[in-house]
Amino acid sequence: MELELSGIVIIVGAYGSGKTEIAINLAVHMHAKGTAVRLADLDLVNPYFRTREARHALNRLGIDVVLPPLQYMQADLPILTPEVAGMLRHPSGLTLLDVGGDDVGATVLAALADPMKGKTIQVLQVINPNRPYTDTVSGCLKMRKSIEAKAKMAITGIIGNANLMEDTTEQDILAGYAFSRKVSEAGNLPLIFITTPAALLTRLDKKDIHCPVLALRRQLVPPWKRAEALVPSG
Amino acid sequence: MAKVLMKGNEAIGEAAIRAGCLNYFAYPITPQSEVAEYLVRRLPEVGGVFLQGESEVAVGYMIFGAAGAGVRVFTTSSSPGISLMSEAISYIAAAQCPAVFVNIMRGGPGLGGILPSQADYLQATKGIGHGDCRLLVMAPASVQEAVEMVMKAFPLAEKYRNPVMILGDGLIGQMMEPVEFPDQLKTEPSNKDAWATNGMDHRKSKTRNLVKSLFLDPVQLNDNNLALKAKYDRMRAEEVMSESYNTDGDYKGLIVSYGTMSRVCRTAIDMLKTEGIDVGMIRPQTVFPFPEKAVAEAAMKPSCMHVLSIEMSMGQMIEDVERSVKGRIPVSWYGKCGGDIPTPEEVIDVVRERIA
Repeated sequence: MELELSGIVIIVGAYGSGKTEIAINLAVHMHAKGTAVRLADLDLVNPYFRTREARHALNRLGIDVVLPPLQYMQADLPILTPEVAGMLRHPSGLTLLDVGGDDVGATVLAALADPMKGKTIQVLQVINPNRPYTDTVSGCLKMRKSIEAKAKMAITGIIGNANLMEDTTEQDILAGYAFSRKVSEAGNLPLIFITTPAALLTRLDKKDIHCPVLALRRQLVPPWKRAEALVPSG
Repeated sequence: MAKVLMKGNEAIGEAAIRAGCLNYFAYPITPQSEVAEYLVRRLPEVGGVFLQGESEVAVGYMIFGAAGAGVRVFTTSSSPGISLMSEAISYIAAAQCPAVFVNIMRGGPGLGGILPSQADYLQATKGIGHGDCRLLVMAPASVQEAVEMVMKAFPLAEKYRNPVMILGDGLIGQMMEPVEFPDQLKTEPSNKDAWATNGMDHRKSKTRNLVKSLFLDPVQLNDNNLALKAKYDRMRAEEVMSESYNTDGDYKGLIVSYGTMSRVCRTAIDMLKTEGIDVGMIRPQTVFPFPEKAVAEAAMKPSCMHVLSIEMSMGQMIEDVERSVKGRIPVSWYGKCGGDIPTPEEVIDVVRERIA
């Protein structure tokens, strides 16, 4: 099943659910398919491991990353660059927003209501059952409610991200898929796609997975590890 | 319990709960604010208390008060916040109360920056506050180790009736790793009847406990300092922890490095090994007491020509490394302290230049 996304897509979710890795890898995936992609780092709450750290890798591929001004890049200040409103007013093929975690991180979306007025927007909630507070269906739905309240926007779909970093197994992915289905049914929201570490993609038994699968190549790694090469997941 | 994916800061919060600590007072500062963020939600679920102080100075004395009343208590902060708490830490050490302080270090001096650093090494290991006070200081290199050290910190604080510090760089707090939690420990300090000011009713003793750090009589003050010194000597004898890497065979050089910096060094050592260059490493897990013996023994291997102290500071731990090596072979420093962590390639360049 092919993963196709276009228009304005906003990635939200609990703190540490994997939004940034997904946004980066989704940008690369759609760019490789010939879609013009702009990715904005809207993480105003996290001090490290933000999209901005992958900016060089993304720029090399020709993906436009919208960031706070250079001199404030390493600050823990909630800086919303005016360029974001501009990109929302004139969206390109895929206009991707990587938002900060929890309801606190999603608060910034309420400030962008004006440029998004009248546009069709997909707001996708990343769920990771291996994280505290989103390990149950009710936990994920509670997170959804609190994000929607602060963002003043409705969530329109689910992204299942059952990763445990280097400890992730095929079993985790399959169990995570089943969990995502449950959240999708309970919340009456479509499951847009799930993710898997790229290294597991070929081994993964996909016959029972009825949604697209995005291969993740980890970018935000500590300095003793190397980021995986960003290549189209096809 | 199954593995979960947690940020170091969250895992530190959970580990304290698993260690039976249900009292957390703190003031937010990057890069450790997620501990408070996590515990403000988690502590009420287990009947615990989180109180935000009006400043780190206030938090330091809230910790002192709770510790004096005999409850398990801890706080977390980052460099400038720890400086503000250092007066209270000295009082707590003088009054011999147990408490746990976590410092998720950021760049300094002054406000510095929010990225990782190890530049509070001297502050943490050489006395922190005024007077002859010391902390037992443990330095984790992974999220899992941070959990284990936090859980160890509470019983150690009670064993010594002294503050214990977890010294983590910003990366320890911010990075996510899969982590497992051991079972819950006991909730109350075991020896608190000897010192806690929690009422006379349940105690057999007729002597009142008094929490104080004022000793106007010079003999009394000297006696108190001798009692503290005896405890610090006992820490040196009983609590040293370190890990060695690639030290079984011969090696031309030895790296001493701790925290996440040691993980970069480990990668560099693995890469050098593929080129036929062997370098050993000692990773202090306690930085006070410092693993002097382990460093000295590893440096004394006949093949070893040079010792490198690699740290995210402008050369602080090197003083302890030099003290351990005692001038028998050359010791030099390499590090960075702006927030950029040296890469394995940079470490390899330094090894090539000075050792290989």
